[in-house]
Amino acid sequence: MVWISSRWKIVVMVGPALILFSVFVVYPVVYSMGFSLTKFQGFGTPEFIGFKNYLALADDPFFWQSLQNTIIILVVSIVLLVPLSFGLALLLRRKIPGGAGMRALVFGPAIIAPILIGLIWVFILDPKIGLINRLLAGIGIPPVQWIGGDILTPYAVSAVFIWSSIGFAMTIFYAGLQVLPEDVMEASSLDGATGWQQLRYVTVPMMRETFAIVAILLITNVFKIFELVYMLTGGGPVHRSDTLVSYMYFVTFTNQQYGSGMAIAVIVTVLSAIVSIGYLVLSRERKIA
Amino acid sequence: MQHSSSKSSLARRIAVGLVTASTIVALAGCATAGSGTASGPTEITLSMQNPDVKTADPATWAIVQAFEKANPDITVTVSGEAVAEHLQKLSIAAQSDTLPDIFWVYKSTAVDMQKAGKLLDLAPVLDELGLTDKFPASTVSNFSTDKVIFGVPYQGLLTGLWYNKKVLADNGLDVPVTFDDLINVAKTLSAKGITTISNGANQSSFSVWSFLVDLDRFGYQDKIQGILAGTEKYNNADFLRLYQHIAELRDAGAFASNVSTQTYQQAVDQFTGGNAAMLDAGVWASSAIQDAGIDAGFWAGPQFSDGVGDQKIVMNVASAPFAVAAKVGDNAAKLAAVKKFIAFYYSDEAQQLLVDNGQPPVTTYAPQVDATKQGALKAALDTATAPGVTSPETQPDLIVSTAVASAMYDSIYGVIQAQLTPQAALELVQKAFDAQ
Amino acid sequence: MTGTRSFSGTRLVAAAAAYLVTFLILLPLLWIVLLSLQPSGNILSNPFSFDSLTLQNYVNAITSLPLLQMYGNTILIALVSVTVGAAVSFMAAFAFTRMVFRRKRVQSSMRLYVLAGLAVPVYILLFPVYRLDLALGVFGTYAALILPYIAVSIPFNTLLLTGFLREFPAELEEAAIIDGAGLWRLCWSVVLPLMRPVIATILIFNVVYVFNEFPFASILINNPQMVTVSLAVSRFQGQFTVDYGGMMASATLVLLPQLIIYAIFQRQVIAGLTVGAVKG
Repeated sequence: MVWISSRWKIVVMVGPALILFSVFVVYPVVYSMGFSLTKFQGFGTPEFIGFKNYLALADDPFFWQSLQNTIIILVVSIVLLVPLSFGLALLLRRKIPGGAGMRALVFGPAIIAPILIGLIWVFILDPKIGLINRLLAGIGIPPVQWIGGDILTPYAVSAVFIWSSIGFAMTIFYAGLQVLPEDVMEASSLDGATGWQQLRYVTVPMMRETFAIVAILLITNVFKIFELVYMLTGGGPVHRSDTLVSYMYFVTFTNQQYGSGMAIAVIVTVLSAIVSIGYLVLSRERKIA
Repeated sequence: MQHSSSKSSLARRIAVGLVTASTIVALAGCATAGSGTASGPTEITLSMQNPDVKTADPATWAIVQAFEKANPDITVTVSGEAVAEHLQKLSIAAQSDTLPDIFWVYKSTAVDMQKAGKLLDLAPVLDELGLTDKFPASTVSNFSTDKVIFGVPYQGLLTGLWYNKKVLADNGLDVPVTFDDLINVAKTLSAKGITTISNGANQSSFSVWSFLVDLDRFGYQDKIQGILAGTEKYNNADFLRLYQHIAELRDAGAFASNVSTQTYQQAVDQFTGGNAAMLDAGVWASSAIQDAGIDAGFWAGPQFSDGVGDQKIVMNVASAPFAVAAKVGDNAAKLAAVKKFIAFYYSDEAQQLLVDNGQPPVTTYAPQVDATKQGALKAALDTATAPGVTSPETQPDLIVSTAVASAMYDSIYGVIQAQLTPQAALELVQKAFDAQ
Repeated sequence: MTGTRSFSGTRLVAAAAAYLVTFLILLPLLWIVLLSLQPSGNILSNPFSFDSLTLQNYVNAITSLPLLQMYGNTILIALVSVTVGAAVSFMAAFAFTRMVFRRKRVQSSMRLYVLAGLAVPVYILLFPVYRLDLALGVFGTYAALILPYIAVSIPFNTLLLTGFLREFPAELEEAAIIDGAGLWRLCWSVVLPLMRPVIATILIFNVVYVFNEFPFASILINNPQMVTVSLAVSRFQGQFTVDYGGMMASATLVLLPQLIIYAIFQRQVIAGLTVGAVKG
């Protein structure tokens, strides 16, 4: 490999990606971080106020509520989604009539714009006109406030997120399963390993990177949830179901407090990165142990 | 040898790839950049708060069509986005000096833009066109700071509670007058599973118009200067009584059980579907109500025996304004075209077009209303012009910053949805004032 | 005998489970289609009725939206941004996992630097990217959207590619180098074919991203001639009016081509499997 790794070759290979990424992602983030240190209504000259925006958030109950909701959605989604989507990939990998078609169909929800996902699920979850409560009423169960009540909204958002992401995660697991070297799998079958043993001691350990990929994507995607909440409840009642990004959107664009909004955005970015790295560190340690 | 040849071929291929890619990008750019500005008709851009202006805002569409017909040398390019995107786009454009020529914008945002020097002062334009006297005095003062006029009225904000005559009659109820009457209506209807006041907080927390009028029935207009100056509190005994009344309405079962997840559009549908006795909205809903064949009346809202000041008021003011970008002043042809557009918009011809499309006039023009086809509109206009009825100068949320306005909406829906006690709701708004 | 029976038994259970899960996942999609066939008035009041299904919403969507133009714009933007995005990411990912840097730290920190982009919510980028587009003189052109789309896809692509490249043994490539293959041949003829399932996955996700991306599209497109399909649905959402039927119909119209694209690439994923199996 040293053979092909002269310095200029490395530059040619990484240059285009690094330049595009730095100009259109990193520079804008730094730029917005600057705004998070100012009082800025969206017009005129931003006024530098240091970390006041961040300090004000510490006193803002809506911010803490939205952080709490984000954490609930994160935990529920990750705990359920990773095993479910991996199981589904294993299931669809079997030779089942119509398997290819099913893989395409299961991916379906991942194709729909998040704003529409929210809209469809309003018609399913709404306490008054929604499908579920209508069905429950049919068997005599009183209506449940799936969304818009005091407690359940973040869990309902998790459920919708799981639905919308399972095909996405399954597809990555599926691709990971395809890349597994066939001979190792065959060898372990010949050694007489049962399906479960093979899964536990061969497949899963060999797919560590795939698991990390899926987990990181899901974690970072949960931190970006916005449209779902926006369509389901608009963050209400009174910000009770806001997530970090939906609250950031409210502060930035509805209230036009650009500086405060960017402060929340910076916090979201940092938290999301920390949780992702935390996951990587933990999963690595577990492997060593 | 082989190694070095493949090395150069790699470089060549990458170079070819990059050049191809950038050519495609450049070509794609050229393809649209071509349509330039030759000396032909003058183009002015009009940016609105609806993505599909033709169907969602037929009044504006009709005026633009009539204007273009009368002025073949001017084209008006109408564009629009949903309110949230529209405001987002305007705020970003204002910072980059790429604002559209004429645009719909919230008053508080217009004030900020004006302070930042992004807007054209319309005072000389209105003087030149002799329009200043055509508007109600409160409209002009509402859209000016010192001597600068930063906006002109777009449409009227005539708000209140639409009521379904049949629903009330079927349940043996009269149209309420006082708040106690309203509570009785709510109790009677909720016993039968009917929603009294249809409204929805999902993505439309601003849909609390009838309660904003109620603030004026508790002395808002006299208190607001003091509250802004910090000498008085939003959190005061008078407002507390109003918020307690909202809680009483809630406890009487006046609101829909899914008020948190329902959007404003769903609230309208609930009313036009005959499933609610009243709709909290404004004159803009008249077309939908007429189309649904509902025999509706328009009620200015309850009178409170423990209110402050005049109780016989109806909210009839100018809504969010049109503003004109400052850079229009640098282009003589554009400025002339914009002036012509403004002159046309406030002509009697255009004002009648507003009325034909279900909107009240914004000038002092006395319109023709066809009572058979526009029953709901007529009911609203009659309420506004009834003897002895006055209007506040502006709607309470329009004279505060957007952050405070959001807090006001949240405070009202917070009580309606049983999320906040009246006291906590008032404190929420006060906190927003304090943060300014 | 018992062995075969239990084998076919589990197979049957697996098939049944797969069908059931697929059906459950699909249910809400069928729901959109049903709603899109309801007259607008019915959607909110009586969405379950089958009495008065109509194609009127589709007629409205097709007549009021410049659909062909929207598809054209979107496909052009997707084609350029996805191709360039996948190409530059593949090159970088190859360098991050296969090439030998003088300092290993530099290599792993470069990869982390790019991956950190995954944590960035799009709203943090909107305003600065708008100004960048103006400064670069690309505002009002397709490049205004293409450039940020490429940039935003890089972290995702890199994560997938480096992950799979790490999992995949480098023996083949070493053998190819011994055979005298240069960097280009190694990338193009050895590694790329092995990565076909992953590349196909990346292409699918990137195309879906471009089809659904809303925040950038709503801010960076100023010319009505250049609107993309992701804006179609929002056309039915006015200040005081929402046409739910129109939204559902246009949603279906936006969805269909994407499902078709997916079905096509799906074959590539399977083709990739056979290449991997034959290997060497």
